[in-house]
Amino acid sequence: MSTPRFLLPPEGKIAPRLTALLVPGFLALLAAGGGAAWVTRQNQIHTRAVVHTYEVEKAVLEVRRVIEEVEATRRGALLAPATAAYREGYHRAAAELPQRLATLARLTADNPRQRDNLARLQLQLGTLAQRRAETMALVERGDQRGAFAGFRADTEATSMRAVRFLMNHMAAEERRLLAIRDRELRVTERAFYAVLVLAAVLLLALAVIALLTVLAYTRDLARSRDATQALADSLEEMVAERTEDLTRANEEIQRFAYIVSHDLRSPLVNVMGFTAELEAATGQLGALVDKVEAEAPQLLSEDAKLSAREDLPEAIGFIRASTQKMDRLINAILQLSRQGRRQLAPERIDLAQLVGQIRDTLTHRLADADATLEVAGALPEVISDRFSLDQVFSNLIENAVKYLRPGVPGRITVSGRREAQRVIYAIADNGRGIDPRDHARVFDLFRRSGAQDKPGEGIGLATVRALVFRLGGAINVESNLGQGAVFTLSLPSTLELQGKSE
Amino acid sequence: MNAHQSVGIVMIEDDEGHARLIEKNIRRAGILNEIRHFTDGTSALDYIFNDPVGPALSGPALILLDLNLPDMSGTDILTRIKNSDGPVKRTPVVVLTTTDDAREIQRCYDLGANVYITKPVNYESFAQAIRQLGLFLSVIQVPDLDGAN
Repeated sequence: MSTPRFLLPPEGKIAPRLTALLVPGFLALLAAGGGAAWVTRQNQIHTRAVVHTYEVEKAVLEVRRVIEEVEATRRGALLAPATAAYREGYHRAAAELPQRLATLARLTADNPRQRDNLARLQLQLGTLAQRRAETMALVERGDQRGAFAGFRADTEATSMRAVRFLMNHMAAEERRLLAIRDRELRVTERAFYAVLVLAAVLLLALAVIALLTVLAYTRDLARSRDATQALADSLEEMVAERTEDLTRANEEIQRFAYIVSHDLRSPLVNVMGFTAELEAATGQLGALVDKVEAEAPQLLSEDAKLSAREDLPEAIGFIRASTQKMDRLINAILQLSRQGRRQLAPERIDLAQLVGQIRDTLTHRLADADATLEVAGALPEVISDRFSLDQVFSNLIENAVKYLRPGVPGRITVSGRREAQRVIYAIADNGRGIDPRDHARVFDLFRRSGAQDKPGEGIGLATVRALVFRLGGAINVESNLGQGAVFTLSLPSTLELQGKSE
Repeated sequence: MNAHQSVGIVMIEDDEGHARLIEKNIRRAGILNEIRHFTDGTSALDYIFNDPVGPALSGPALILLDLNLPDMSGTDILTRIKNSDGPVKRTPVVVLTTTDDAREIQRCYDLGANVYITKPVNYESFAQAIRQLGLFLSVIQVPDLDGAN
């Protein structure tokens, strides 16, 4: 299996990257929009300028037309004084002229050059109007000759040329302005298109970069998702492997304990066997000593007598006691190891009934110890291994009976309650109690607490703890010297067999 | 009684002390049959199958077998004996070992062991068991060698 690589998605990087792309994108859009607005505004201004130019041109033409009309009607009236239409036309046109001029003056008020032109025009027109009025006055008085003479000597033709020139000049001036404005507009438009193209290029580039970024990010995400998946898979595998390792290690310990106790037993058989042989031989020797003492006391020394009658039996007695103890210890280890190898068989267990059976078994011992065993309230049922639980409760109750306070009637109470997925049982007594310093020790193999005045090897509670652990439970003790003890047992309400236990 | 006398005892036991104790107690039980002692499986099997005076080629025998041997497992020897051809197959095998594990005992009987005796540390019961074995030896019927050959 390869070591899982921890590939985290680059969430921390994508947001600033996208923001960095979006901000210039929006700026480009704003620039394009602003440019468009500006160009539109320029266009409007230009359109108004064009309209204005045409209005000015029109006004100029009108003025010119009216001037020409005045001149034409004056000449008509001069040539044909009898024709009233000329005179009338003259007066109408002459009356119209100031109005037209005012319009032109209003339109060109913003342009100093045109104003200047207009001033000059009005100067010319002033002279001209005076000449015309004089001519017309002569004509109306009937002095045609005088009028003609005036006309001939007149500088009117020159004035008219000047007026025409000025009029042309004004029209040209407007054209020139229009051309300038046109040029300005074209420049503006070119700038606008440039901005637009630039913004488009920028946006396109940003879009491409953003797309690539998002694609890369998506790819990273997919990759990290795969990695996470692989990690999850490998985790399960790892858990399974570790569990297997643990199970194997546990089996190894069990096997080890089993083998050790067997191999320890083998030499013990010899020690015991030959001790028995020695004992038999000592018996023979003792008989011989007795016989010698009776028949030939002078052959017997005090030392020989002491050896045969006291030293040898004493030594053999110690060897025997020690070997027996050793045998019990080895058996205890063997038993623990066997319990560890036993197949657990979960079943529904009525604890009250189980305690009842234990009470029946211990009837005599309870009576001898002047003790009672009772169940307080209802005990919750549990689905667990019957044999193991029987061992646990038997051991705890037997201990309670064993370690009562002398002279105090024993009272052993078993109670229980359910807590979520677990059941809690408590075995309480009013016995001699356990020193708090020894609370951890009492559960160790071959360790005991308090006065060693009762038989035992320190195996019971070690077995209990081993069994409780195997059942997925926990056990602890609360006690003080002389105040009884409470052993609290917490078990899963349903025993789950983990994998294949041996 | 003639057949009883001819039964040789093959003891396969690596612990000298155990062997000595077993022998002593057999003798105390009044059994005087010849006892051949082997401390390892290889030489014991060699004697059983190949020795001119061994059980395969010569007289009937009883095998006392310890399960913990230095060179091979006692159950292997048991399997070899019980799966062989010829008279050795019918040789009674008494398994004598420290193991009192129920599964181990079951396994030995499944492989064809005739008797299983746990070596107890309690010497009195051990001696008792050996004496009972002596009693057993005095009543077993040895297969007819001529018929087997």
